[in-house]
Amino acid sequence: MLPIFFITLKGLFRERVFRGILISAVLFLGIPFISTLSMRQVAELSITLSLSLISFILLLLSVFLGGSSFWKDVERRYVFSVLGLPVSRTDYLLGKLGAVAGFVLLIAIVLGLIACAVIWLASSAYPPTLRPVVWTNIFFAIFFDALKYVLLVGIAFLFSTVSTSFFLPIFGTVSIFLVGSATQELYDFIRISEQAFSPLVKNIITLLYYFIPNFGAFDLKVNAVYGISLSPAGLMMTAGYFILYFALVVSLSSILFSRRELR
Amino acid sequence: MKKALFIFGLLSAYLALLAPFTAYLRNKPFDEKLGYVPHADVLKPLSADQKQFVAAWFVLKTASYYGGLVQQAQSRIYEPPEYFGMYKTIETALHLDPYNMDGYYFAQAILAWDMKRIHEANALLEHGMKYRDWDFYLPYFAGFNYAYFLKDYAKAAKYYQRVGELTGDALAMRLAGRYMYEAGRTDLAIAYLAAMEKGAQNESIKKTFQIRLKALREVRRIEMAQEQYRHVVKRGPKTVDELLQGGYLQEPPVDPYGGKFYIDKDGVIRSTSKFAFGVHSE
Repeated sequence: MLPIFFITLKGLFRERVFRGILISAVLFLGIPFISTLSMRQVAELSITLSLSLISFILLLLSVFLGGSSFWKDVERRYVFSVLGLPVSRTDYLLGKLGAVAGFVLLIAIVLGLIACAVIWLASSAYPPTLRPVVWTNIFFAIFFDALKYVLLVGIAFLFSTVSTSFFLPIFGTVSIFLVGSATQELYDFIRISEQAFSPLVKNIITLLYYFIPNFGAFDLKVNAVYGISLSPAGLMMTAGYFILYFALVVSLSSILFSRRELR
Repeated sequence: MKKALFIFGLLSAYLALLAPFTAYLRNKPFDEKLGYVPHADVLKPLSADQKQFVAAWFVLKTASYYGGLVQQAQSRIYEPPEYFGMYKTIETALHLDPYNMDGYYFAQAILAWDMKRIHEANALLEHGMKYRDWDFYLPYFAGFNYAYFLKDYAKAAKYYQRVGELTGDALAMRLAGRYMYEAGRTDLAIAYLAAMEKGAQNESIKKTFQIRLKALREVRRIEMAQEQYRHVVKRGPKTVDELLQGGYLQEPPVDPYGGKFYIDKDGVIRSTSKFAFGVHSE
């Protein structure tokens, strides 16, 4: 598993993905300037923009790397030559997944550091008037955002193990991301709305809510931007949710890949 | 050679199109520029994990449009502002991100001061107070709206009480009491705007406060001359010119909004600009 992990990671660097990300990270330089357009919350706007940019870059990475790296190996038949060696299919899958997930985490750390510098710059020039910048909340927001995208990479791998086409891993992952980010809102909406929904709609939304990963739970931007306190129990539960859901997705991927007929 | 000529032709056509294309986009009406803003309930799930960003984007876009209008108005180009479009956009932004301070700040500026839709402004401020429960600005705005625009001092006192609780500020506590009654409305507004102007970080918003302050200081100057006139002549002046001719006003007052000051039948100083750009009623 480890050799696969290192080879994949090396391959990601060789593909110059890192350079591409650094180019998009140039957008961070614009954040302190854009933030000054705010009327009353320059520091808060710089946090919003930084976290949004991190989230957007990580989304692109998870979808494209997650959706393409494993699928490409199967499609180009690299997988045959590797599986001819004493490497099990599960080890191969775990090595690849670990490398892509590790890469996403690494990028989250690098972008997080750049974001901290940008936020520090904006908040020193325009100190927030009512609440100071809560750095721990920013750290947790980036960390949980990274976990969210690691989970999304897992989903992309799950699609890759069964798909023979490039479209399912990419579009399937994007769809799961969009639905998974909205299920909490939809679930809350049907619960509190006075509008009468048919039992069928309610059941479908409830099913989606439990079945699709709840990405909304990982979104701590509001706590980071406005310094709203985080619930330690909530964080622990979200981390637990991540571990269990990720383990389920990986196990399912491994079962499906082991049974897949490779031609 | 042919290829180079072709590329050159394409480039020239592109450059020739750029100027009218940019002018067309620049002059698009605000509503059209912003496009259709879906209801917040629809936007919330659609904006995935970018709700704060989408809300901030709406607020910045509206503020930059408003800033542009102020610039135009200062160069005496009047374009009727799309107040309703601005209001709806800000309202949507605040439902997407109920913590966005810029949204409340801007809603207070356009809804209360320009559109005089005080109840809507207060409804948004109330919405914000549920979330930003540490922020004294929101009850301060609401209290000011009740006192200055609606003359409902009891309600205003309730909000100033809240400001006092949040800040521990003695002035707010005093405002919550009898002081509100005794203070002249214009003085109250001048004090409010001076504080707002000092705290404003955005240049175009700062400018709007400075203009409004200038207008209100002129009103206060006329009011003081009016009081002096009343003291001497034992009746109120009917026109601002009477004050000028009688020497009660040293210099003719200038309305920075481009209007003309007049005294209405109740003796209140008003301006034909209604203290907003592009609202001329001569």
